Amino acid sequence: MNKLARPTFANNATRPRTRRDGIHGIAFFSAIASCAIICLIILTLFVQSAPALTQAGDSLLSTRWNPAEGVYGIIPMVFGSIFVMLIAISIALPLGLLAAIAISRIKHKTLKRVTKSALEILAGIPSIVYGLIGVAYVSLWVAGLFDLQSGRIILTAGLILAVMILPTFLSLAEDAISSVPKAYYENASALGLYPYETQLSVILPAAAPAIMSAALLALGRALGETMAVMLVIGSLDRLPSPLFNPLSSGQTITSKLGREIGESAFGSTHFSALILMSFILVMITIALTIASRRIFKSAKTS
Amino acid sequence: MFRYFIASAFTVSTLLGVSGCSAPERISISGSTTVLPAVSRAAEQFTADTGQLITVNAGGSGSGFNQLAEGQTDIGMMSRDITVGELDQFSNLTFTPIAIGRDAVVPVVSSEVFAQGVTALSLADIASIYRGDIDNWSAFGGPDQAIFVIDKESSSGTRQTFMDIVMGNAKAHASGADLVIGSNNEEQTAMTQSDAAIGMLSIAWLNEDVKGLSIILGSGELVAPTLENIQNGRFPVVRDLNIVIRGDISSQAQNFVDYLLSPDGQNFVEKSGYIKINQ
Repeated sequence: MNKLARPTFANNATRPRTRRDGIHGIAFFSAIASCAIICLIILTLFVQSAPALTQAGDSLLSTRWNPAEGVYGIIPMVFGSIFVMLIAISIALPLGLLAAIAISRIKHKTLKRVTKSALEILAGIPSIVYGLIGVAYVSLWVAGLFDLQSGRIILTAGLILAVMILPTFLSLAEDAISSVPKAYYENASALGLYPYETQLSVILPAAAPAIMSAALLALGRALGETMAVMLVIGSLDRLPSPLFNPLSSGQTITSKLGREIGESAFGSTHFSALILMSFILVMITIALTIASRRIFKSAKTS
Repeated sequence: MFRYFIASAFTVSTLLGVSGCSAPERISISGSTTVLPAVSRAAEQFTADTGQLITVNAGGSGSGFNQLAEGQTDIGMMSRDITVGELDQFSNLTFTPIAIGRDAVVPVVSSEVFAQGVTALSLADIASIYRGDIDNWSAFGGPDQAIFVIDKESSSGTRQTFMDIVMGNAKAHASGADLVIGSNNEEQTAMTQSDAAIGMLSIAWLNEDVKGLSIILGSGELVAPTLENIQNGRFPVVRDLNIVIRGDISSQAQNFVDYLLSPDGQNFVEKSGYIKINQ
């Protein structure tokens, strides 16, 4: 904090010292406040999920969810979240990587800028818009394609999510590929490598850690997405059968919370079980973020 | 620069504060999507007549009650009774449900199934479909097609009324369900998109794509889902549409409640496809 903030202001000799310290103090306070908010959120989730752990006990690990009977099996939701995330990432990863390579090869400056900013706009579209498109079109196409009674299924949610995380991943992956030193390309072509060989065995390995960290960040976004998923997943609190059947309806942690948090009374076991799920979600996201930073850091130092 | 920023921020917040105080207090209502059409139509007219602003939000009976109890709204809309559990959660408050109309929850099927001969089922038939015991329309003289069972969220008043009478338990678990949706309009859309679905809808939401089934009574008699049969009490799955108020209701909100029960307000209940409470 100190090291970062001081030099920039120290250069500016005309500024009186008191004002500089004032701004410094405010910046420091904001930083502390953000940290405190994060800690407070985690602490609240932890404390609020305690009643579920003590009162619902074993039923938490069952596959049935029925608050009326006091059964709070969170397995279908946790499984749904991971399943949808895997579908999304397995579509977005290859697609995004190829697109990132293509964009990094664009020589024309304006064309490149336009392509990149178009992608950034895509990332800024509110998730409810994706959800509406999912309900109105994508779910109907999917239903028609597989001859299903309803397109509100895990696969549709995965598809929508893939499109949603694509720009984030693509943009970061493109930065990673573009930041590979030019000398790598020059050496590769001096050795007589074909362009695809250059990409596959020189550029991608060099950019791999940064791409990996981009993928983990995209995973985090996929896990946390609520609105769009909630509208298209079908809200069925049951494990698909067979287990990895993407054509059945399902439920993610976020869609469950979105649907049910309003009807659960604050302080009840029902409420607590929902909070427990969000605690699990936050823990997974934090783990992903830390892993992503670690990989990114190790890439920079090596 | 920074000082200017602080000064302008103060000015803005002061202005907002002042204007916030002088504006008339908005009445806030939320809850059941079944009750919503009648209330929001009445609210529009009430606003036009008196200038009183009203916000009407959907959310389901359960959250309608919770929001009222937690003081976020002035009036809750519920298409079912308040449960003992809900009352226990907020035992320090008093709640008064007021019926503003009557409604029927009708078992509905896709128009394709209806056209191919399934026009009436008994309550036991419907229960066996929702339990997952029967999974093909051919069992009821329909097409040889798997039944697509649409269930609703457990907080839905429509579901609780339906399950109470069909399965004998308002919170019954439907293991035959293939899809769970939230509101009446969501259900209507899902029904329309499918050609072999069964679901449950409030009578006001039936249309050409979503056909209401007649119910076969124990005596073998058929009862069609008509306003007449709801009024004379023959249709078995009926309920009151309630609004719920707290003991400490504001005078503006009370005025709107009175309006809902007046002949003018009751007209909107009828226009929304329900039965008036004050005949």
